[in-house]
Formats: sequence, structure tokens, C-alpha cells
Amino acid sequence: MSSQKTERLINLTLALLATKRYLTKSEIFKSVTGYSGTPETMERMFERDKDELRNMGVEIEVKGLDPLFEDDQGYLIRSETFQLSGNEFASDELLYLTMAANLWHDSALSNDSKAALLKIQSLSGPIEFNAFNSPVVRDNENSQMLATAFEAIEKCKKLSFKYNGNHRIVEPLGMFMRSGFWYLVAKDDKIVKSFKLVRIESRIAMDAGSFQKLEGFDLSSYLKRYSEEEIIQAEILVRKEQAYSLRSKYLVKEFDSEWDLMSIPYSYEPEMIEILLWHGQNIIVKNPQSLRNSIVSRLGEFING
Amino acid sequence: MVDNAAIRALRTMDLIPYILENPGVSISSLATKFSVTQKQIENDLQLIFMCGLPGYTPYELIDIVFEDGIVSVIDPQVLDKPRRFNKSELIVIALGLQILIEINKSNPVQLEKLQSLSRKISKLGSSNSITFNPVETKSVFLGQITKAISERKHLNIEYNSLIKDKKTNRVVDPQRIYFLNGNLYLSAFDLEVRSDRVFKVDLIEDCKIVDFKDHVNISEPAKSFEVVLDVRKSHRSFIERNSSIISASKELGDRFEVHIQISNLEWLKRSILSNAPGISITSPSLLANELLESANTVLALYQA
Repeated sequence: MSSQKTERLINLTLALLATKRYLTKSEIFKSVTGYSGTPETMERMFERDKDELRNMGVEIEVKGLDPLFEDDQGYLIRSETFQLSGNEFASDELLYLTMAANLWHDSALSNDSKAALLKIQSLSGPIEFNAFNSPVVRDNENSQMLATAFEAIEKCKKLSFKYNGNHRIVEPLGMFMRSGFWYLVAKDDKIVKSFKLVRIESRIAMDAGSFQKLEGFDLSSYLKRYSEEEIIQAEILVRKEQAYSLRSKYLVKEFDSEWDLMSIPYSYEPEMIEILLWHGQNIIVKNPQSLRNSIVSRLGEFING
Repeated sequence: MVDNAAIRALRTMDLIPYILENPGVSISSLATKFSVTQKQIENDLQLIFMCGLPGYTPYELIDIVFEDGIVSVIDPQVLDKPRRFNKSELIVIALGLQILIEINKSNPVQLEKLQSLSRKISKLGSSNSITFNPVETKSVFLGQITKAISERKHLNIEYNSLIKDKKTNRVVDPQRIYFLNGNLYLSAFDLEVRSDRVFKVDLIEDCKIVDFKDHVNISEPAKSFEVVLDVRKSHRSFIERNSSIISASKELGDRFEVHIQISNLEWLKRSILSNAPGISITSPSLLANELLESANTVLALYQA
């Protein structure tokens, strides 16, 4: 049964793809192999086939052929909506596309990466490409979660999940990756927030209905606001012959026989403290006082438990 | 995998342009590429053999030959080109291109080509609601590293070791490059210590290809032991970032008890101090005391 239906779907697609003019249903029933039975049965088969192909992203065009008869409609699939064309990408572009898709080969996006690579190789043939010498991305997310979130954004479906101990139903607007982690940008109770995907504590489900796309929302300007923070310059003493990783990034001035002076810009204090404490006793913060105080209080708390 | 007829029909149609561009491909390689069994590929090919354009004379059918597990297409009919990329495939490509642009900033020729390709892909309709925030990666040596990997040559690198806080010079056998948590890493076999090492690409200060033909590939497993940590919920990013070394973790109110397997103690000590007071060592106590002492030494610098 299922083989017959698959065969019919393929033949229908091929016929609609090959035709230069719109085919009517009766032409389809007459010429495409696989349609049989009473007119009503064939009608039902065709409607179902058409819906299934459309659900898989195949664009079937419909056009009324005779304004007087609503029934007389024609169908076709435009090659440019179905297939890539042979001269769409130059050969060096195909190589870059391969590298770009291959980057995600080890990550939560590996399924889409694999599918994209197949299509690229169906254009290019075997490409001179060694997958092992090009970089890959390793991430921490699970692919099911990412796929659900992508789909919900595209289809304007609400998402429900547990985050920070609370059950949320949000309107997903976009996603971004920062420092190797995926974030979901979504409207949660009238406020647009970011959710770190690895922190989602439950399954993520598209079970809360649809929503109206937020007018005028633009992810890149949201992210710009999100990352516009004040830059502060910290004055740091660095012990001589130490902290090489910092010395390679920032200039130093001689301070005394034991220390050098360095200026490091930062915007997010916890991150700065992490960098500085990594170097332990080889670094002292001179300024600002607030950064000094935070380090002293953190260490005090650490020592006293 | 449960296949419905439409999924199978599209996969079967996808086989044709692929085989056309890769003539003489084996059934087993098709099975791997299309993530189905060899049996399924054979069934799909049998099926498409019967399909074609209305009329269905031999001239209108898709024509393929398969023999001894090898396939070629003689007449693809209209299926001579792959289907267009779907939304999520375009996202994967667009994000990948953004990364390639980022790591090729020092190469103007490639950069220009990549940027024009990226514009082309976004015109094809890759979603603008998904973006990749570029990493700050200095990667002047990326070209050299990938060249050494593909030509199977060794690299002599000058490396700013974060853990030892020293500039070191090593000869390594480079294996692969990857992004993790926003940083670019090189995984390589260090010939001197005869063990696998991971290097942050932006801490490589200098890098030369050396012409060693012989390939050393014995990795000596480093000794690892268990350390139990107390991690506050506010510091759970430590757990997220280091999931590969965590053997068990338990939620205890506002904190986690985390068991890790570790061989590099210097790294652990620096990580804990830099996260103070969010993470502390529960056991072994010797290590816990050692860390308290380091914290006291740093604190004393501020109280002097």
C-alpha cells in the first residue's frame, strides 16, 4: 500500500514539475499513473496527496482556468521553487557552502547540516574537501530542543517549558548563539527576555497554541541593546614575568621592580573578576575601588565558607 | 524511523540528483549519507525505477543502473538538480558562513567571497530571527593549522599556556579544530609529553609547519581522580561548560554536589579561585585546604 502511494506521489510531483502549463485534475487523473477508482475516490486521493506534499514544503501552484467554472482549476510546480539551478553557485562557493554546513556536523544542528550537505553534493559532485581539517562547532544543546524552538519561531507557535523553577508559556521571537550557547528570545508576559537553552529544565513543547507575530521586532537591534554596556577601565598590577595571556592582549608599563601596570577594559564585573582571579597572586587591582572591594569580599566569603 | 509516504517520496527523489553528480556511488555509502538502511535504499531505487513522466514509455521513465552494489543514473528526467534548501538548512548554512567570515577576517580575498555568498544565502530566505554572535577570535594562524592537518605535518607552536602561565614551545601533531563555548580550539598530540593536548587558538603566538613525516599516535591516558565540588546555583554555568568531566551531579537546595573526574589539578584550582565563592571543594580535604591557602595569599595582597 505505502509503496503504491509513494510511487503515486513521485509521479504526481514529476508530472507537475515537467509541465509547462497548468494541468487540470481530469488531465492528472488520466495521465498520472496511480489514480484509479470512482471520480470521488480519485478526488479524495488527489486532495490528500497535494496536502501531504505541501506539508513537506513542496509549493504546488493553483490557478483557475475558467472564471465561470470554479471547479476547473489547474496545477503545476515551478522548477525554480522546487529545485536549485545548476548555475546558482560557483564552484568555490560550493566549497564554502560545504565548509559552512560541515561546521555544525558535531553539534545539535547535525541533522540539518547533513541534509544541506547532501544537497550541496548533489550540485557539486564529490568536492575536494577534507572534513577533518575544517573547524567544527561543538555545543551543549540537544537537537530536539533546538529544532522545536526553530519551528515554533517560524510558525508563530507558543512554547511551554520550565525555567528557573517556573512553568512558562512564551511567544518565541528569535534565537541567537553567544559564547557557544543558544539563547531563545521570547515574549514572556509582555516582556521580551532571553532564555538560555541549557537551563530549560523540562521538555520544550509547542502545545499552547499560536500567537500574532510582534510587529516591528528586530532581533539584531534587540541584541544591540542587550549588549550595550558601559565600558570601564581597570588599572591592574601584574607581577613581572607572569600572566602571559593578559600580556599578549594588553600593553604594560613598568611600575616598580616587582610589578608592571596594565589597563584592561571591561563591562561585566563578574566576568572581569573571573579573569583576574584566574591569575591568583600575580595580580592586584588598583582601580576602580568597587572592583577591589568585590574581589576582597568574594575571597573573604570563600575563606570563611 | 517511521517513514510516511511523502517523506519517502521526497527522499527517493533526492537520491536521483545525488547519484547523478556522484556516479558509481555504492548502496552502502548512500545508506550512510541518507541515514537509512541499505535495504531501504534498494527499495527506494526499485520504486523510482518505475516512476517517470506521463506516457510512461521507456523514454519517459527515470533510468538507473545498479549492479554489484554500485549505482548510476542514465536518465534523471526532471530530477537533475537537488531540491532547494529548506528554512532550517539555510539557517545552518547562514550561521556557518557567519563563523567562516569571522575566522577569515585577516584574509581579504576569502572574506569578500564569503560576504557575497552570505548575502546570496540571506536572499534565499534564511530566517533573520536566528543569529550567531561572532566570537572574538584572533586566528592569524588558522590557515597554517588547517594546512598542517590536511597535509599531515607537524606544527611548532609558541603557546601562552593559561594553566602554567608560561610561554612554551612545543612540537605537536595537529588533529582537528573545533569551536566550543565560543572559543576556537586545536586538539593535537604533543610530541614531547607524548599525550593529547588542547590549545586555545587565540593563545598561539607563533606557528610554523615542520616537515616531519613520521606520525606518532600513541596517547597515554593521563591519570585522573575524583574531586567532589559544591557549586552554587548561581554558578551553574561552570557545570554547563564542563559537562564532559562531570561523572555525577545532585541538586541540594540552592546548590549542586558535583563529582568530577580530573587529571589537571592546576586548571581546577585556577577555575575554583576565579569563581570564588561560588564553587568550593568538598573532598579531598587536602586540596580544599590548599585552595584556602591560595585565597588567603591573594587576600593578603589587598590588605597590605
